[in-house]
Amino acid sequence: MTPRATRRQVLIGAGALVAASAAAPILAACQASTPKTGGSGKVVVMTDPNEFSDDDRKILEDATKLKIEVVKSDLTTLYAMWAAGNPPDVFRVQAAGLPQYISRKMVKNLQPYFANSKFLKLDDLAPANNFYRSDGKTVGKGDLYGMVKDWSPDFTLFAYAKAFDDAGVKVPSDTTPLTYDELHTIAKKVDRKQGGKRVYWGFVHSNNDQWIDRTAMNMLAEKNQSLYSDDFSKLVIAGSPEALKVVRYLYDLAAEGLQQSPVDPSPNWMGADFNNGQIAILQYGYWFSAMAESDTTKGKTVMLPAPTWAGVRRDPTMTATGWVISSQTKDADAAWAVFEQYMGGKPAQDRAKSGWGVPGLKSLYAQMPQESAFQKQVQRVVQGELPKSDFVLQFNPYVGEETFSTSWKKNLEPALKGQIGFDKFVQNIESEVNAAIADGKRIIRS
Amino acid sequence: MTAATGALRHAAPRSALWRRRGVRKAATLYLLISPWLLGFALLSAIPLALALLMSFTNYDGLNLEYVRFLGFDNYARALTDADAQHALGRTLVLVVAVVPIGLVVQLSLALMLNQPIRLSALFRTIFYLPYVIPVVAGAWVWKLFTDPSGGLLNALIGIASPDVNIRWLVDYPTVVLALFTIWGATGGGMVVFLAGLQGIPAEYREAAMIDGASRVQVTRFITLPLLTPVIFFNLVIGIIAALQILVQPMLLAPGIVGLGPGTVPPSDNYLYAVHAYITIFVHQLFGYGSALLWLLFLVVVGLTFILFKTSRRWVFYGVEP
Repeated sequence: MTPRATRRQVLIGAGALVAASAAAPILAACQASTPKTGGSGKVVVMTDPNEFSDDDRKILEDATKLKIEVVKSDLTTLYAMWAAGNPPDVFRVQAAGLPQYISRKMVKNLQPYFANSKFLKLDDLAPANNFYRSDGKTVGKGDLYGMVKDWSPDFTLFAYAKAFDDAGVKVPSDTTPLTYDELHTIAKKVDRKQGGKRVYWGFVHSNNDQWIDRTAMNMLAEKNQSLYSDDFSKLVIAGSPEALKVVRYLYDLAAEGLQQSPVDPSPNWMGADFNNGQIAILQYGYWFSAMAESDTTKGKTVMLPAPTWAGVRRDPTMTATGWVISSQTKDADAAWAVFEQYMGGKPAQDRAKSGWGVPGLKSLYAQMPQESAFQKQVQRVVQGELPKSDFVLQFNPYVGEETFSTSWKKNLEPALKGQIGFDKFVQNIESEVNAAIADGKRIIRS
Repeated sequence: MTAATGALRHAAPRSALWRRRGVRKAATLYLLISPWLLGFALLSAIPLALALLMSFTNYDGLNLEYVRFLGFDNYARALTDADAQHALGRTLVLVVAVVPIGLVVQLSLALMLNQPIRLSALFRTIFYLPYVIPVVAGAWVWKLFTDPSGGLLNALIGIASPDVNIRWLVDYPTVVLALFTIWGATGGGMVVFLAGLQGIPAEYREAAMIDGASRVQVTRFITLPLLTPVIFFNLVIGIIAALQILVQPMLLAPGIVGLGPGTVPPSDNYLYAVHAYITIFVHQLFGYGSALLWLLFLVVVGLTFILFKTSRRWVFYGVEP
């Protein structure tokens, strides 16, 4: 008779197996396996499906005679694909992530391709494309590594007139920019709660703080200052009076309850809150004008120029969303063919006419929509902002695009709850971001 | 023996080794479990080994050319990482809150639904439902449920106290997370308890009741002792699952529901797996993140080992080992 396992042994075995395999999924996440990409005849494009329709794909496939595989854009997936050694041939980026990708040699220098392009002439490129230029140290100078799909002057404001009417405050002029201090004062007047419940947030910005560093950097850049030391080796807030002033300003907006925050969150994204008539002043780019008028806000929405930090006013894009080509692509020419058609072919013209962004090519500017009264008002503001858009933000090449905002959000909650003071809040952010910078520097220099 | 197996047996000559019963049985066993073994090797064992290797390097998930061997530096760093310690502490708090209460709820529901009551199948389905609802949908429901302005919870409290406006996810994030976790896990544990209850012979209970035992005494002295192997199983599974909670606190974080590198849960819900996730995907420290996860694995193994040791005192098996 063969020996039989007892019930206890079976249970012990099952428990041991569970314990042994318990951490497997979470550890395995670091080793996500992805299909082989690139190669002859197929181009893998990682992008946002909202920005790349099935029709776009078919147009590009017809134009290039290539098969295009679309992977949904997601940082976690991108890192996992890189970790697996199979990055997409073309991928969507935003300006904040680009210096890091360039410093780590992850993206291809496209200057030779642009120089020989049929559609994409260097002198026709909108200034926002300078975010894709780098000489290895400075963003905005040197060769091109990618291109914006479209862009917006991103520091413009959208005012909800009803919130102003309810507060008995006049909607600010759409020709004279506010200072940030004036904006703060107005936000306090139009911010409203009733019975402890939110009616209007006064001034909402930075996409749930995801872009808080970009807002701060643009304010500082007006006075030729930065969040970082010149060589990007340190985040400097406490040691820089102007940076401290900007951070305090942004902190106060949250502390005074004018801005959405971890202690006064919204279950929605800020665009939906504006559409629902819950935000008095929203800082968002031109692209948002395509959806700013909901049933609630129609006829009550006014676009305003970007405010100024009382320096040289500037209104660049803070996202510069676009495409780059992976340095590891196995078929760079095929990847470029898709890239070139998307940026300069029919999909680019369709995007220009849609009003979801200022085109990446100056020759397409005239195609932005100007039919409705709101679109005409928006265009007047945008035309005034374009001359102020010829700037770039200098992002840190040693850290990822979420490093600063993650640290900000992590420390803002205990600060707003009074568990730590403002000084400790700043100190924690400096300490965490500087540790991340040190890690990034060590990796790149090793 | 069927004609088919007989024909197969004569189809090809077998070696003496194959004819040996033990070898044949072992080969059949391995053949039958090979799909699982293959899956385990490819999807668990190999990634685990690579993650272990990674934990000794500075790998950033992007460039292999920058990879350098760091020895045990990542592990040493983890021991002095204040965020990791905070996160581990919060995780243990959640484990202590969720596991015992979860077990009591699951067992209580199973005991009730094991009774011959009307509509018991319907109630089993209702209680099991949260277990099969996708976690994203569940989190959305809980966010709406606990929303300070329009949430059902405040509305219910408002019946008794109209001015109440509790910010559940801001002021009591761990309570909401614990309830959400218990709510989501109850169905699975309840079914396992039900299976265990139905495996207890009715004769034991009947004999005790003939001897004059009350229902409470039957549960206390007959049902629960015989159910201890199942309690033990659910306890081990519950602790392991609670130690690894990642998605729920991210989804319950302020702002829009989403799981991505930009999401940061409140400090009280900043759990160990969240810290590892942020370390890997925000700070791009794949090597260090892997070391953090291997340390979590050691904690899991250690706790499991302790539980097995203590189980000798309180778990009663039907068959003596």
